[in-house]
Parts: sequence; structure tokens; C-alpha cells
Amino acid sequence: MHERLSFYVKRNSVIHDLNPLTKVILTLALILIAFSSPWYWTPHLQVLIAIIPLGFVGKVAPEFFKTAIRLILPAAGFLFLMQAFFQPIGQDVIFKFYFLDVTQESLMFAFRSSMRVFVMVSAFTFLLLTTHPSELMSDLTRRGLPGQFAYVIISTLQILPQMQAKAQTIISAQRSRGLDTESSFLKRMGSLSPLIGPLVFGSLAEVEERAIAIEARGFTSKKTKTSLHEIPDTHFDRLMRWTLSILVIISIALNLWLS
Amino acid sequence: MAFINLQNITYKYPLTKTSVLKSINLQINEGEFVAVIGPNGAGKSTLCYALAGFVPHFFKGEISGSIEVAGMESSKSTLDEWVLNVGLAFQNPFNQISGAKYTVFEEIAFGLENNGVPRAEIRPRVEEAMKLTDITNLADRSPYSLSGGQQQRVALTSILVMQPKLLVLDEPTSQMDPIGTREVFGVVRRMAEEGMTVVMVEHKMEWIANFADRVIALKDGQILMEGKPNEVLTSDILAENGFGISRYTSTAREAKRQGFWKKENLPVTLDEAVEGFKL
Repeated sequence: MHERLSFYVKRNSVIHDLNPLTKVILTLALILIAFSSPWYWTPHLQVLIAIIPLGFVGKVAPEFFKTAIRLILPAAGFLFLMQAFFQPIGQDVIFKFYFLDVTQESLMFAFRSSMRVFVMVSAFTFLLLTTHPSELMSDLTRRGLPGQFAYVIISTLQILPQMQAKAQTIISAQRSRGLDTESSFLKRMGSLSPLIGPLVFGSLAEVEERAIAIEARGFTSKKTKTSLHEIPDTHFDRLMRWTLSILVIISIALNLWLS
Repeated sequence: MAFINLQNITYKYPLTKTSVLKSINLQINEGEFVAVIGPNGAGKSTLCYALAGFVPHFFKGEISGSIEVAGMESSKSTLDEWVLNVGLAFQNPFNQISGAKYTVFEEIAFGLENNGVPRAEIRPRVEEAMKLTDITNLADRSPYSLSGGQQQRVALTSILVMQPKLLVLDEPTSQMDPIGTREVFGVVRRMAEEGMTVVMVEHKMEWIANFADRVIALKDGQILMEGKPNEVLTSDILAENGFGISRYTSTAREAKRQGFWKKENLPVTLDEAVEGFKL
């Protein structure tokens, strides 16, 4: 069954050793700078000097490129085409496609938008690849995020595959009694509706049991929680968080000042 | 002073009309191993929740009478304090996995983290508990990748690691195959032998006859009978009230009616039956 329920890849790298919050700030900083910097080539440069090198420093380059090719590039590529064809800016028509004009300006605009999206999605991918979700959550809980909130995020990630398996069981059970799940799309949608009841109500019943089980282990205890793993937080982490925050502020300020 | 003392407990779940527990009086001594039996709807699970503090602290509802466990009085203490003294495990092993942790080791540490046990103590305590239930080899697996019997042992370990004074088990083996059942019973027996007070709802009569100190038969929210396992499990009262009965007991009862069973007492286990039929 599912041994691996998150994107996290366990490696020994400088990036893995960073405090989870530092990595969250790094991700947010990359995104905010990509979107706010007034200089046209910022997102492109970020990919070259930040995203790709980070993949190698974090020793997750193979996984990262796999995700990039399968998921990020198609999405960014689609965005590029949409923007290039439908952005009604500029006079310099490079070529015509029926009634759609592709101008130099719309091409430039599309290039930057898709790069921005590329930076955004790949920064998140990078965060997920190098940060263990439970470490991230225990670090954030330690900094004051409510424990219940952290639990909802982590358990959802874990329980979704179980829900899928359960849905599959219900479907098989109904198919064995003659439910049609293989003909036309509309027919299939219709025949799926009776499956939703058992799945939803069954899950709700489970919620109470799970609540009792975690309550029996002191989940809502008023005591200050401790953590099995020691989560590193060094001077370097703090320095990096401050530097990144300042860069973001500069980028946003420049944007406001120049516009 | 008894370790567990229920005085005249009557309890009704919220939004319901009938009481699930009716005037229950029950005293259990420290170190005792008590089995609870009864047909569906007898109030067995509710009794477990009452002992573990979930009735009334989690379920609310109307309660009268007093519950005392390990020196705590229900109306004067919180669920937080209660769970530190009483461990609760129940039927479905899957729903007892927290979902917040990625390995068995972390899963077992969850309760200790919640209760603020210092990091230096967590690791040795988890390791010790895993040794006790013989799951050390599962430490790095995902709790969701395990079999039912393994998951139930992880759930039990997650409770035992908190070192409760009382262990409450609500049909922990009912969804398990014979191998899983044997694994779980093995752990429970070891706990009882080490002197932990155990209250266990169970349907496997032969097992109860071998290991429990006392049996309580519950029906319609009331205690119908209580006493030594063999007295209770072979009594005619159980047979007349729709309780599950060991096949050896019912065979011997029929044999006695027809004059083949010579002994005074009826058997519960296979060994007792063989011995009796040899005569």
C-alpha cells in the first residue's frame, strides 16, 4: 500500500537541514519577488540563478525535473499560448492566426507571466520535496499555529489515499451488484451518485472514532507540546529569513515607486 | 477503597430518550482483569467510555451517580487528567491511527508529545513500549501500510507508552483474523501479568475463561450477573438471555440433559470439555 504519502524525498542536504519556516519564507520570497519586481527579466533570472541551482543544492534535481516536465511546463506552456494569442496589447504584429494577432508585446507579456507561474509552482514543489510535512507542522505549532489546524492539514494528506481506497471498495461492491460504471460519461456520472452517500456518511462516522482515539492520547491537552524530532533553527536560518524578507520589501517598494 | 468505583451510574446520550446505563454499581480492585460480556446494545462500549472519562466529558449527555478511577472523581476532573491514567483502545484499528504521523515510531510518540513529555524521554519510552508489544521491526513503516493485527498492536502500544494505570479495551480483536487475534491477546495477557488493571469487552469465551479474574455480564444497561469466569459463563441465566456461549458449554449442557455429562460443572474451554467427557 501507500508507503509514501507525501512528496517529501529524504536526502542529506544543506536545504533539508534548514528550518522549515526558512524554507517557507524562501518559497514565498521567490514568488513575491517574481510577481512584484519591476524589472522584466526577474522571473527568468530567478529560474536560472535560484530554482535550478536550489534543485542541485537540495539534491532533489531528478525529482524536481520530473515534476517540472510532467506538471509545471505543460501548465506554464498553456498559459503562454493563451496569453500570447488573447492579450490585446501592442501594434507590432508578428504573425496572424485567423483573427488572432500575436504581437511582440503580447509575446513578451506571455513569456513573463508563464515564467512567473513557473517560478511559483516550482518554488512550492521544491518546498514539498525538501520539507517533511510533519516537521513543518510541528515547527509552525511551536511558533503558535493552533495544533488543530496543523492536524487538519497533515491528516488530510494522509487520509485522502485511504478515502480513495474506500471509494474503490464501494464502487466494486456496487459493480458486483450490476452498477454500470463503464458506459458513456453522463451515464457513469449518474451511476456514481449513489456511491457518495456511503462514502460521506461512512467517513463522518469514522471521524468520531478518530476523535476519541486522538483525544485518548491527550490531543487537546493544555500542556505545552513537545516534539520527537529536534527541528534545527540556526543563526543562519534567522539571517536568511531576514535577508529574504528585506529583499521582498525592496522589490514591492520598487514596484510601487516606479508605477 | 476500590481502584474503580462506580456508584449508581445512570447515563443517557444527548438527544436520546432511553438510558444506556441503568444504576450500575461496580467495584474493581487494582491489578484485577475483568471481562465484560453482553449482547449488542447492552451498554458495553458506553461502560468503557465511562471508565475512560469520555462519558460524560466527551459525549456530554445526562449522567447521575459517581465514577471514581485511580483516585479521580469524574465530576471534579477533566478529560486531560483522565487520559493520563486510563488508556482506551477499541475495535477498528484503522480509526485509531492518528493520521498525523508518517511512521509507526512517530505514531507511538504522538501521545507523549501531546502531553509535553521531554524529548530526551520520548525515544527510550517508545522503544521500550515497542519491545513490550513486539513491534520493534515496524518502527519505520507507515502505520497505514500495516495489517489489521499489526495496526491494532500499534494502537495498543500508542496507549501503553503513556503508562496508564488502567487499560480499557473495547472488543480489540473483533475485526481480526486468528493470527491478529493471537497477537493482540498476547499483549493484553502480558500487561495483565505485569499487574496492570484491565477491563476488556470480549466475545471469545474460552479466552476469557482462561485469563480473566472476573466476568461481568451486561444486558440492557444493567449488570445481569458477575462472578468467577466459569460460574458466569456456564450459567443458565446467560443462555436464557441471548448471550453468546462457548460451543463446549452448550454441547455439555445438552449432554447433561441427556445424561452423558457426569460432572457437576459445565465446561467453557476445549480442555475442560475433553476432561469431562472422558469420565
